[in-house]
Amino acid sequence: MMLKLEGMSKHFGGVKAVDDVSLTMNEGEIFGLIGPNGSGKSTTINLITGLYAPTSGTVSLEGRDLTALAQHERTALGVARTFQNIRLFGNLSVAENLWVAQNGHKQRRQHFISRWFKAGGLQDTNIDELLRFSRLHSKKDSLASALSFGEMRRLEMARALASNPKVLLLDEPAAGASIEDGQLLGERIRAVRDRGVSILLIEHMMELVMGITDRMAVLNFGRKIAEGTPSDIQSNPDVRAAYLGTKNKNKEPADA
Amino acid sequence: MVDFIQNTLDGIALGSAYALLALGFTLIFGVMGRLNIAYGPCIMIGVFAGAGVYSDLTQSIVMIFVATLAGTILASAYVERVSFAAIRADAALASMVSTFAVWMQLEEIVAHLFPARTYAFKELGHLSLIEAGPFFLRQESLFMLLVTLAVLLGLALVLGRSHFGLELRALTDSRRAAIISGINVRRIIFLTFLLAAMIGGVAGFMIAMSDGQVTPKFGLWATMKGLVAMVIGGLASLRGAVLGGMLLGIIEAQAQWYFGASVREILVYAILFAALILLPRGILGGPHTVWRS
Repeated sequence: MMLKLEGMSKHFGGVKAVDDVSLTMNEGEIFGLIGPNGSGKSTTINLITGLYAPTSGTVSLEGRDLTALAQHERTALGVARTFQNIRLFGNLSVAENLWVAQNGHKQRRQHFISRWFKAGGLQDTNIDELLRFSRLHSKKDSLASALSFGEMRRLEMARALASNPKVLLLDEPAAGASIEDGQLLGERIRAVRDRGVSILLIEHMMELVMGITDRMAVLNFGRKIAEGTPSDIQSNPDVRAAYLGTKNKNKEPADA
Repeated sequence: MVDFIQNTLDGIALGSAYALLALGFTLIFGVMGRLNIAYGPCIMIGVFAGAGVYSDLTQSIVMIFVATLAGTILASAYVERVSFAAIRADAALASMVSTFAVWMQLEEIVAHLFPARTYAFKELGHLSLIEAGPFFLRQESLFMLLVTLAVLLGLALVLGRSHFGLELRALTDSRRAAIISGINVRRIIFLTFLLAAMIGGVAGFMIAMSDGQVTPKFGLWATMKGLVAMVIGGLASLRGAVLGGMLLGIIEAQAQWYFGASVREILVYAILFAALILLPRGILGGPHTVWRS
């Protein structure tokens, strides 16, 4: 297995944002995580990246326990993410946004050599390839804050890939995008998976989630209520109840 | 007019020292979002270390410089550990109060070790003037300007061309994005404190050399000048820090010439109030603009 959560809980005071959730993601899988607002999806991501310490439970990557590790250590081991509201380094160039995320000793040395001994400034084959993959090569010297919304989304995903992750956590990557953009996004996510990255996708756009995930899990009020293939989930009565039956009742505050 | 230009020349030389102090504040503010008001007192520790070496051990300018730098760096590392690393990330006020406490501590330590309060520091040598027509530049002014330019060049290279500089700029830009990009934030903060300490140590060394003496008041003086220059130029902008330092130096030199020393201080703080009201982000400050690529 690639990523494994066992009995993961996170309580904020009396609120059980995530309550005894266990998940297993296989290598090379696109795994969907859905649920109504406030069901604990973002909290789950924050537990995986280490922003929050769990109230109980463990998270492991390829069998290695991550639970006690700091966020940058998890990134170094292969956990990367994007944010629902994009977080770029706006005052850094597009290429620098990728350089800074390439964070090993080898990369530091390459950075040094490239800065000082190569004409034309920053040059690195990995970064060049990522820029092309993300269709940002022509913008590599622009400030990230000067990009269009779509370019910013692509740059954020490229930056996550620059750290050479094993698992990429995508937090509502289609937020603010149209249905057609969503289809393009689906192709991009598949292309990322084909690079050998397993993907955990949180998304509200159901066409996207149903279309590209191999398996998925559904959260409601912090608990996992279903897990299976997209067609299993579509026919699951509990899921229908969560989305339709109780949609406007007992609504918890949206998680950030 | 001749006076005005001459004052401006003197002011730029003085202002270059202020610029370095403001840069130290700005670097720390950039990565932490917090003020380190013990920055000046840390430099005070450095110049007293230099004065101690000078009076007891050696006349060597290199050794005095090394002692000044080492004293500033050690004191800064202490402040970083006690007032920043040990305090939770969401407790900004606790950090500032803590730096104030460290300040008092450092002053007491110096008062204890150096009871005579005023100590001689190695002077720059005999002071000759460089003349050009009606204008002149004191040798110590030229020395300050050249040292400041060298520090600025070095800093630009570190920030623009090293991986540490890239990480520092990224952290200043967005802490959350920095963490998720695999940057070891605590490490970068510590290194930034050391970088700021080196700049402060150089500034303290050249100011002490041009004064020829040091007193425990140096800490208060350095913190006030650095803070005022930073606020005038723009919080969290390195270019703003340099500009603010130069402007402060020029304003002081003009005010001193035309109105005298006591009016000078009143005027400087009046300008600080005006800057806070009219340009609350300073001249070059925007949100998070320590450096633009």
